[in-house]
Amino acid sequence: MSKPDKLQSAAEQLGPDGLSDLRSRAAKKFGATGFPTTRMEDWKYTDLSIASDISVAALQDFRTDLPPSYEIPDIDAHWLVISNGSPQVGSFSAIDGVEVSLLSEADVDLQFNLPLSDLNLALLSDGLRLTVDSGVNIDKPIGILFFDDADTESLVSQGRVIIDVSKSASVQVIEFHATRGDARKYANVFVDLNIGDNARVDYARLQARDPSAVQTARLSVAAGRDATLRHFALDTGGKLVRNDLAIDIAQTGANVDFNGLYLADAMQHVDNHTRVDHRVGPAHSNQEYRGIVKGRAVWNGKAVVHEGADGTDAQQANHNLLVAERAEINAKPELEIYAEDVKCSHGTTVGQLDENAVFYLRTRCLDEEQARRLMTHAFAMGVAHRCPIDACTAWVDAHVDAALNALITEDAE
Amino acid sequence: MLDIKNLSASVGGAEILHDLSLSVGTGEVHAIMGPNGSGKSTLAQVIAGRDDYDVTAGSVTLDGEDLLELDPEERAREGVFLGFQYPVEIPGVNNAYLLKAAVNAQRAHRGLDEIDVFEFLKLAKEKMALLGMDQKFLNRGVNEGFSGGEKKRNEILQMAMLEPRLAILDETDSGLDIDALKAVAHGVNALRSPERSIVLVTHYQRLLDYIQPDHVHVLSGGKIVRSGDKTLATELEERGYDWLKEAANG
Amino acid sequence: MATESEELESLVNRRYEHGFVTDIEMDTLPPGLNEDVIRAISARKNEPEFMLEWRLRAFRMWLEMREPNWAHVHYPPIDFDAISYFAAPKSDADRPKSLDEVDPKLLETYDKLGIPLHERARLAGVAVDAVFDSVSVATTFKEKLSEAGVIFCSFSEAVENHPELVKKYLGSVVPQRDNYYAALNSAVFSDGSFVYVPKGVRCPMELSTYFRINSANTGQFERTLIIADEGSYVSYLEGCTAPMRDENQLHAAVVELVAMKDAEIKYSTVQNWYPGDEEGKGGIYNFVTKRGDCRGANSKISWTQVETGSAITWKYPSCILRGDNSVGEFYSVAVANNFQQADTGTKMIHIGKNTSSTIVSKGISAGKAQNAYRGLVKVMPQAAGARNHTQCDSLLIGKECGAHTFPYMEIKNQGAKIEHEATTSKISADQLFYCRQRGLSEEDAVNMIVNGFCKEVFNELPMEFAVEAQALLNVSLEGAVG
Repeated sequence: MSKPDKLQSAAEQLGPDGLSDLRSRAAKKFGATGFPTTRMEDWKYTDLSIASDISVAALQDFRTDLPPSYEIPDIDAHWLVISNGSPQVGSFSAIDGVEVSLLSEADVDLQFNLPLSDLNLALLSDGLRLTVDSGVNIDKPIGILFFDDADTESLVSQGRVIIDVSKSASVQVIEFHATRGDARKYANVFVDLNIGDNARVDYARLQARDPSAVQTARLSVAAGRDATLRHFALDTGGKLVRNDLAIDIAQTGANVDFNGLYLADAMQHVDNHTRVDHRVGPAHSNQEYRGIVKGRAVWNGKAVVHEGADGTDAQQANHNLLVAERAEINAKPELEIYAEDVKCSHGTTVGQLDENAVFYLRTRCLDEEQARRLMTHAFAMGVAHRCPIDACTAWVDAHVDAALNALITEDAE
Repeated sequence: MLDIKNLSASVGGAEILHDLSLSVGTGEVHAIMGPNGSGKSTLAQVIAGRDDYDVTAGSVTLDGEDLLELDPEERAREGVFLGFQYPVEIPGVNNAYLLKAAVNAQRAHRGLDEIDVFEFLKLAKEKMALLGMDQKFLNRGVNEGFSGGEKKRNEILQMAMLEPRLAILDETDSGLDIDALKAVAHGVNALRSPERSIVLVTHYQRLLDYIQPDHVHVLSGGKIVRSGDKTLATELEERGYDWLKEAANG
Repeated sequence: MATESEELESLVNRRYEHGFVTDIEMDTLPPGLNEDVIRAISARKNEPEFMLEWRLRAFRMWLEMREPNWAHVHYPPIDFDAISYFAAPKSDADRPKSLDEVDPKLLETYDKLGIPLHERARLAGVAVDAVFDSVSVATTFKEKLSEAGVIFCSFSEAVENHPELVKKYLGSVVPQRDNYYAALNSAVFSDGSFVYVPKGVRCPMELSTYFRINSANTGQFERTLIIADEGSYVSYLEGCTAPMRDENQLHAAVVELVAMKDAEIKYSTVQNWYPGDEEGKGGIYNFVTKRGDCRGANSKISWTQVETGSAITWKYPSCILRGDNSVGEFYSVAVANNFQQADTGTKMIHIGKNTSSTIVSKGISAGKAQNAYRGLVKVMPQAAGARNHTQCDSLLIGKECGAHTFPYMEIKNQGAKIEHEATTSKISADQLFYCRQRGLSEEDAVNMIVNGFCKEVFNELPMEFAVEAQALLNVSLEGAVG
């Protein structure tokens, strides 16, 4: 960003409160590094200049008084709303077994490690910390809604949530991203999920921002001993979307399963980066991402098996369907292995619908469009069905249907 | 031929075989039966020299020679053959190559010249005919993508080629349909000879309908709890193993 | 099972057989690099003006470039001014007309390497362009080749006798500024091989060159250019060993292949440069740029490599699939033991329609070695109907080594079909025990399993080379398992 002073003064505008000092340090740090560029290996295929432009514009006339505006999704959950970057405390109702607090009032140690995290902290009005008590089984999913809707021309919003799931607890979490209104929006969201020993988390990240929105989001997971994570991510919205999922396995017996579906329409760019660090074994990780791409998509999956992490079983799969002439996918399935007793594999494919299958369906009376629609849908649902939270299933099905129809119908034009 | 005296063995600190003794005479066929987890496979693996097991006491000798001192390949070259319960797949290595390497390793040990390709193929084809095996087998990867029956047949083929003094066949009958079982049994019977001892390790009496043992032993809790002739197998089939466990405990 | 892998590790350590130094007086330029050195190289080789200009342009580009640092390898900075950029056997002025005239010490060296040049050339019907350090000293079977119209000679001779071909094709696949080491090579390359196969000719024999680094502190900058004109076919074998030395030696070769319409080039390499000792001391830095251009329709370029040597390998033999229906192949076995580091793979650039590529990479890591596969499959927007299949497997022997895969897929055409599979595994204790129970020694069992793992690649090598490669693999892994 060209104006570090603007960032600094915006950071000051947000205080004074418990985060003031943090904001100021983060602003200074981000002022020095700026946004990642495509010269960096991790950002090779995703250019954030548009995020930078929106941020610069938003900082020209930085406002801390944006009124809340949001729409709760039709999913049965305990909803916690963060609107335009501000937690809407008034809207929270108590959840048995879960303590919810504001980051400005909580005693947490926030790390400075990535430029986007610095940006997030510099402009963070406030964040949430959720603590799930040990041994509890929360009755219904906890939904965290990131909703952006402002009457300004450009809006930059930061979201930050820390979720600590105590020992042997079991919880379902929905991270939901949506927008409304005409502002040029850039949202930058960080979620830290710490799964305690023997705890279990089902997690769904559902992203349905409007087609002009820009998002960068990172979910960092630390898995405890014998912890279980089942994760599913769906991206249908946004003009430029970059998601990072980083899973750190530093205790034995963890079992993580993470999956995702991305639909990138002609003008969309969707980038998913996943990284799993196996620091000890035995532990198991398994991931499958699928994409239906008309615009541009990036998938980068990395499994690192550190020295001594024997007994690691890490599997990766990524499958892409290109459905338009100009579609583009950049896929990079990486394995970095420093241990011996490991079972690792990855498989990536890029292709089209199986013409034999299309033909087969046509011989069974379907017309070609029906056949393609059916198969594309089946391809998407093959991974969408892995969404671990039943309460989301209906929403996911309907939403994927609608998004696919839009994608395919335009195609027919 | 094979003398096992007061053998105890453990894996990862847990003792599996306790003070086990067994003697197999030259030319005899012994069956070792017992419930799951009784230590049957452990016994077979310890004789062959698997180093995951720690021998904590006792001795195992073959015609007076101490087997426990030898590496697995040395035992094999001395004429100990183990037919694996789960034959291992080795991708990319073809059967003929392994067989020839094994035969030559054994010949070198005996001070014989290497077998040449033609002689080897002739011999292999003979043995395969005996077992009713397709010659295409030779060019396939070792056990790679083999069915259960093919794997077991392949074990018998290797045994036929290596002509061991002592053959231990670990659950050679498990997972086989009746035709495959007959073929395997036929192969084993063809290899019975006054110079060769065979130990059949099995859970089921069924195999013994096709390969008549001279002696039957029951292994339970890591030791031999009863020995007898082939009628013991029939008795086991009718009464199960529980009465023996009780007898052993009581 | 800890004992099993410890044993595996202790099985792997035989000493490098090809470690000896030939004592021949060298005509060597003093270390250092500047335009005067380049003029001196060019002058000593009696090069025409265009070559000197070409070298100087490359040098000026190189000065502005930076050493790449993205590979998964680590080494102390190279002092390019400590390297001598030219070394030729003293007898250069009066080059031998036949093998009889070759310095007997040189022939002895080949004998020690197990390459009885004369014998081998005569018996096997292979033409050998033996490169001793930097200058070709013996080329055989020229007559037979020239009957067929095939030009197979040292690069220097090509510059002298076929300047029009050199001018036309040199740098047309790997431009001077392609990368740091290619630029360096372009500035200072000493010699190498040149092949031209005319239209419609199937080269009557496999062409083979043995390379050997012999002079301490002498960078080795080979330049190879192979042109297969329309409808022709050529198979080229490159093999190398190096004597034992403590200093790290830089090897920055460039190989350019051009396949015109309906032509096919098969390029096989067995690379056994000195890998350094068991403590990681010494060894060759092998920073090579190899690229093939399938320039015409229906052309095919196939790379097969068995890489067992070098302290550091940085090498990505690639194919530019420009012609419609052109085919690119890459078959690789890369072994890294002790402290070796390998970062190798390929690039398949699909430009023409209905182009297809196959990548089979087998990486074996042992000791404390790091072995990385790095590959790029790129399908350009106009490359309708592109196909790629990649199989990338790693085998681990020992607990302290690493195996890494960094495959990039950049697909910009809807009709592309790309499949990439990768696995990582170790030699299982079950496999070893099974083989030993059949009477094989542990070492033989490991060799057998490793050779089985590499079979798909060995199948692509010419017969004699395959045998050599297997033996080499066994030697390379000695002591890795124990």
